Amino acid sequence: MAIITISRGSYSMGKAVAEKVAEKLEYCILSRDLLINASASFHIPQKKLEKAIHDAPGVFEQYSHTKEVYLAYIRSTLTEMVAGGNIVYHGLAGHLLLNRLPHVLKVRITANLESRIARKMKEGFSEHKARTMIIEDDGQRTKWTQKIYHADPNDSSLYDMVICIDKLSIEDAVSFICQSASKKTFESTSDRIRQAKDLSLACKAKASMIESFPEVGITCEYGNLLVYASEKEAHMAKFKKILDAFQKENVGIHNLEVHTGLPVPANAV
Amino acid sequence: MEQLTPDMILVMVMIGIAIFLFIVEWVRVDVVAILMMVCLPLLHLVTPKEAFVGLSSNAVVSIIAVIIIGAGLDKTGMINKLVKPVLAVAGTSTSRIIVAISFTVAIISSFMQNIGAAALFLPAIQRISKVQKIPLSRLLMPVGFSAILGGTITLVGCSPLILLNDLLLPFHLEPFGLFDVTPIGLALVASGILCFIFLGKFILPQGNTSENQDNPQTCVSPYEQGAEGQCTYELSTADDFMDYRDIVRVGDLHRRYLVNILALTEPPDVKTLSPSPDTEIRSGVDLVVWGDKKNVERMAAEEEMQVKAAIECYDKEFDTAHSGIVEAVISPRSPFTGRSLGKNNFNDRFRVTPLSVHRQEDVFLARLDDIILQTGDVISFYGTWKRLEALHQEGGLLFSLPSDLEDMRPEKALWAGGWLALSLLMIMGFDIQLSVALMTGALGMVLTKVLSIDEAYQSVDWRTIFLLAGLIPLGIATQKTGTAAWIANSILHIIGNVQPIVLLTVIGILSTLFTLVISNVGATVLLVPLVVNMALAAHTDPRMAALVVGLATSNSFVLPTHQVNALYMGPGRYRTIDFLRAGSLVSILFLVVMITMIYLFYGV
Repeated sequence: MAIITISRGSYSMGKAVAEKVAEKLEYCILSRDLLINASASFHIPQKKLEKAIHDAPGVFEQYSHTKEVYLAYIRSTLTEMVAGGNIVYHGLAGHLLLNRLPHVLKVRITANLESRIARKMKEGFSEHKARTMIIEDDGQRTKWTQKIYHADPNDSSLYDMVICIDKLSIEDAVSFICQSASKKTFESTSDRIRQAKDLSLACKAKASMIESFPEVGITCEYGNLLVYASEKEAHMAKFKKILDAFQKENVGIHNLEVHTGLPVPANAV
Repeated sequence: MEQLTPDMILVMVMIGIAIFLFIVEWVRVDVVAILMMVCLPLLHLVTPKEAFVGLSSNAVVSIIAVIIIGAGLDKTGMINKLVKPVLAVAGTSTSRIIVAISFTVAIISSFMQNIGAAALFLPAIQRISKVQKIPLSRLLMPVGFSAILGGTITLVGCSPLILLNDLLLPFHLEPFGLFDVTPIGLALVASGILCFIFLGKFILPQGNTSENQDNPQTCVSPYEQGAEGQCTYELSTADDFMDYRDIVRVGDLHRRYLVNILALTEPPDVKTLSPSPDTEIRSGVDLVVWGDKKNVERMAAEEEMQVKAAIECYDKEFDTAHSGIVEAVISPRSPFTGRSLGKNNFNDRFRVTPLSVHRQEDVFLARLDDIILQTGDVISFYGTWKRLEALHQEGGLLFSLPSDLEDMRPEKALWAGGWLALSLLMIMGFDIQLSVALMTGALGMVLTKVLSIDEAYQSVDWRTIFLLAGLIPLGIATQKTGTAAWIANSILHIIGNVQPIVLLTVIGILSTLFTLVISNVGATVLLVPLVVNMALAAHTDPRMAALVVGLATSNSFVLPTHQVNALYMGPGRYRTIDFLRAGSLVSILFLVVMITMIYLFYGV
């Protein structure tokens, strides 16, 4: 009943590994569906969402917050889709977007550069072009992770397991992952399912507020939603209106409070 | 017109800095005043002696004495004792109760600090609201406004009026007597009260009957509904409670279900009231919780607890004679303000359980420990009366207890009243200077042990003292350098000749606006030299111009920025819009009544 995220570089065979893991464990597999669902829920073109989760933020991002808004939408959709467990997500940034959940098995699949280039060349690209494209793609991923999460995607401490598909085969990787997923640490207990639901609720609330109030922080525990905002924000009619509407639309909220003048806690989204 | 000199420019820059700092509040207002006290002599705008003359001024000494006299009266419990006869006179009619309480508060406020009178009366008003079943929101605003208006009845009623004579000294104008302002003050109080009596329905939030239960300053008995629909419930844990789950602590249950554990049985059979958040919940034990029914039921279902039909094991402990729930208001200058509820450690120090915090229209139940307390916040506490008494004695919280547990000195009431009367007699009958007469009263209270000298020192609000003393040199610099005259002449040059009554009205409006954004003392110090110069140039009575400033700086009702309004906002569950609605009307009325009275009594 685990949640497995498989992070991968392009042409690292991560997709094949994810599909086989899902097949073996009889889990659902999730990748592009995330963006399709997010696009449908928040009425944002899929292309824009894809850019937000892939391309590093530009110089104007600090003024517009567009990427931050789209990421909140993607995160909200992802947390909702994985809340029930039994899922393998092999899209972008899963290990970061779900980093608050304790029972997520975070896997990184890598492969050596030459074999990745060789795979790319099979699509009809020259060696030079294939190399450039893969290096550029890796660069974008590194920049994205550094700018958004201040982390290096190649830092192995971000993952529970890093497997290099080189000497080890896809089958080996699948076997390791399935074995790890059955460990007690990744079991979806009722408490962990609750935590996933709480995170989903907090992310959903954040998604509803982020466009107008990007600075608010939200935590959720046992359905008790806590919004951290400034005094000024909390007294704005729009702020109250958004929260009222959110509370009406979501039945799982037991209590909703707005705390002002306090630092946003580290576990807030 | 006189030439603008570098000194005048410097003074205007300093005034600008002071106003800016008052508005943005980067530092506290008293620190701004001390900044002025230090910078002005450094810039050679006043002499070192003039810089600190405020500390020995008549105004500062008078205010120290007024605060000590007020504290002495408070210590005797005299003021609380006034409530009973006042209520007897008022009967059961809401209007009569509002008139009686408001007028009493106004009279008391005319001899002590407004905020002191307001704070002193808060528990009594809460009690009246509960007993007479009048929503607190209908009582508090009229009473709070009356406390502010009462400050205009005598020259010692509020800081701006105390300061007035000192500010008139450089102009060699005749000082005002203690009761010179009384007709105007009484008219202002009467108009304020009448406004609420006749228009209260339209301008005050009406509240409802359940609001009466918002103030369980005495006790919410078991299974009786509390503040926001919360009740007390007794539950028991299953015999295998600890067998198949991680350790559950008192704090965990509050975090998860927003219910407060008021009592818990600990092995072998120890009943603990207000257990600490770290206490473990064991198998097969009884516990009493306070919370929303739906949350208690959710907890019982998820943690497999049994909700009992009534308080059974803890019936003695939860008897109203033994323990209860009180609503305590954070008082002005409380040591608890500015610190989080968790850091104030109420549970560890006093063994009482904080249940919720009310701030304006918000109710906080979750993560109470993180909430930084502010003046006017209302905290609901559960505890035994003995422990609540200990908390009460710590000071800083305003609440009343059902029994006579308070540390009052009623036997000293006659002495306290006598010293106040003597002070007044010295001022009125023997024309002795205000500060000397009032300090005599204050000293008398200490000598006759109405309060100890340490209690007297502790009661003095040093922020007010330094605010007054620090701004006085700014007034001196404004006058001495000719800045006040220059600004006054420039304004008059622009507006031309105006009728005295029009000029006074404009001064009144200007002072009202100033007091909304900067402190009333700051507004008085800055405006008095200016308006006196303007009045002299416009051939209007300069004393009246100064008096308008002294009075209109109390016209602070539109926003809950005045200390009294801030204090009453939480317990009254008022919103800013409530102050805007009622305050705007009272502010306009204030200006009309003040100008009319000055016109009628002083013939301007």
